[in-house]
Amino acid sequence: MSIDNFMKHAVTGWMSSHGEHSDIVMSTRIRLARNLRGRRFPIAFSPEEAKDVDHLITEALLNSEENGYSYMKVSELPILERQVLVEKHLISPQLTDPERHGAVVLSEDETLSIMVNEEDHIRIQCIYPGFQLDGAYEKADLVDDYLEKKLPYAFDEQFGYLTSCPSNTGTGMRASVMMHLPTLTMTKQINRIIPAISRLGFVVRGSYGEGSEALGNIYQVSNQTTLGKTEKEILSELKNITLRLIAHERRSRELLMSKSRIALENRLFRSLGTITYARLLPSEEAARCLSDVRLGIDMDIIQDIDMIILNELMVFMQPGFLQQYAGTELTAEERDIFRAKLFRERLEVGHKRLKEEETGE
Amino acid sequence: MLCEICNERPASVIFTQETMQGSSERHMCERCAFQSKMFHFDPNQEPLSIQQFLSNWLGGPEPFQSQQQTKEPLAEGPECPECGLTFRKFLDIGKFGCSTCYDTFRERLPRLFGKLHNGHSSHNGKVPVSFNELFAVKKRIEEIRLKMQDAIEEERFEEAASLRDEANELKRLLTDGGGDANVN
Repeated sequence: MSIDNFMKHAVTGWMSSHGEHSDIVMSTRIRLARNLRGRRFPIAFSPEEAKDVDHLITEALLNSEENGYSYMKVSELPILERQVLVEKHLISPQLTDPERHGAVVLSEDETLSIMVNEEDHIRIQCIYPGFQLDGAYEKADLVDDYLEKKLPYAFDEQFGYLTSCPSNTGTGMRASVMMHLPTLTMTKQINRIIPAISRLGFVVRGSYGEGSEALGNIYQVSNQTTLGKTEKEILSELKNITLRLIAHERRSRELLMSKSRIALENRLFRSLGTITYARLLPSEEAARCLSDVRLGIDMDIIQDIDMIILNELMVFMQPGFLQQYAGTELTAEERDIFRAKLFRERLEVGHKRLKEEETGE
Repeated sequence: MLCEICNERPASVIFTQETMQGSSERHMCERCAFQSKMFHFDPNQEPLSIQQFLSNWLGGPEPFQSQQQTKEPLAEGPECPECGLTFRKFLDIGKFGCSTCYDTFRERLPRLFGKLHNGHSSHNGKVPVSFNELFAVKKRIEEIRLKMQDAIEEERFEEAASLRDEANELKRLLTDGGGDANVN
């Protein structure tokens, strides 16, 4: 597949580098968990109930005013495509199990995805680029308002929205921001910050989900508590925490720049060299170098590279995408070769475009 | 009795160890007891899993009480009529099977939610519009009921009767004309 053609299919809404504080907050995600009354949760339901639930939900969504929704049954997707959807964060890894009778409804720009029969009957998810908690919530909330008119929700006066996992009961809302915090990581300040945040009822973890270390210095901050607080309260608390993290990160950047400019520049440019010329690029190294180059662009040390390329590469470097790009299954070593190739080609395309713009159309 | 370990000093400490095979007693002097590994957790023993911890913590008897109690199988607790999940099983897998589980385990949930949600155990956020209307009607009925009681106490029976009719009308709305909707 040619790089241009591949890009056309691979780029998704949240990868654009728009949105407030998009240099540090890469994306914002809101997830609402809902279930239908009178039907057992996916952990306990029969295949017939599963199909029934799928039918009810997708019927309601596809008949809505909103056009451009597309529907995909997970069991009918090739394994590679399922993996790509996971890597784009449009579906969760759990949904890929074909036994679950899972399905997903996607909006045209893919910022909205509604998962059917994941852990709960309905998972409404909205991902926006940059720091847009309110915007993303409003969008998810609209879909929720629409669905509650069409479908009988499992709701309880005392416990709120009833979910399969007790950690989601109440608002059923998980709000999260994905943040790039390279200098807080370099200076090890993050190790002090994480426990402090967890005391506030929020969690910080590596971007690839629970238990993963922060590959590429990317962290996900999200609320742990869903009961007892309103959605607005949770959002505003997360907003405050995020703003403070942003301020911390900016201060560390300035400090590092004033104290060890040459060492920092050396590191960032070496990483740029690696992603531009490497012939073998293992994923840890790729993630580390992308983080460095991103920092370089943010701090105006590295010019002539569009940030969107970095956002894309961060997603494309994952196994599913690489294999789609290659058009075939790849062994681990072949993936490292293809990753290096993809990086070189993408950076070259970006460079050419930039040059064309400079020389004038 | 002399200490089992050194056979020199008198035994003044008795360890009782409960295992699957039964209980064993060991008699030691203070010094040997202090050096004994029995004061520490056996590193080969499986660490307490989170689920076990949760079960002990929230379900069964207190975890650090005498061990005979934990040897007995924990009570299964109430069973959900809809999906068959017992409270014991719920604690094991950490997931509800259906929305009826919430009703079945209702009394036990506030404690559990408190642990999970920073001390909170009731919902404070968004309410679906359909439930909002339901809430409004329920609240109105409650108000009428209070007024009715006042009227009866003050022997304004005619007013009380009309209030009762009004409340019954609203109740009929709630239950879609169900038979046991009388307000008394």
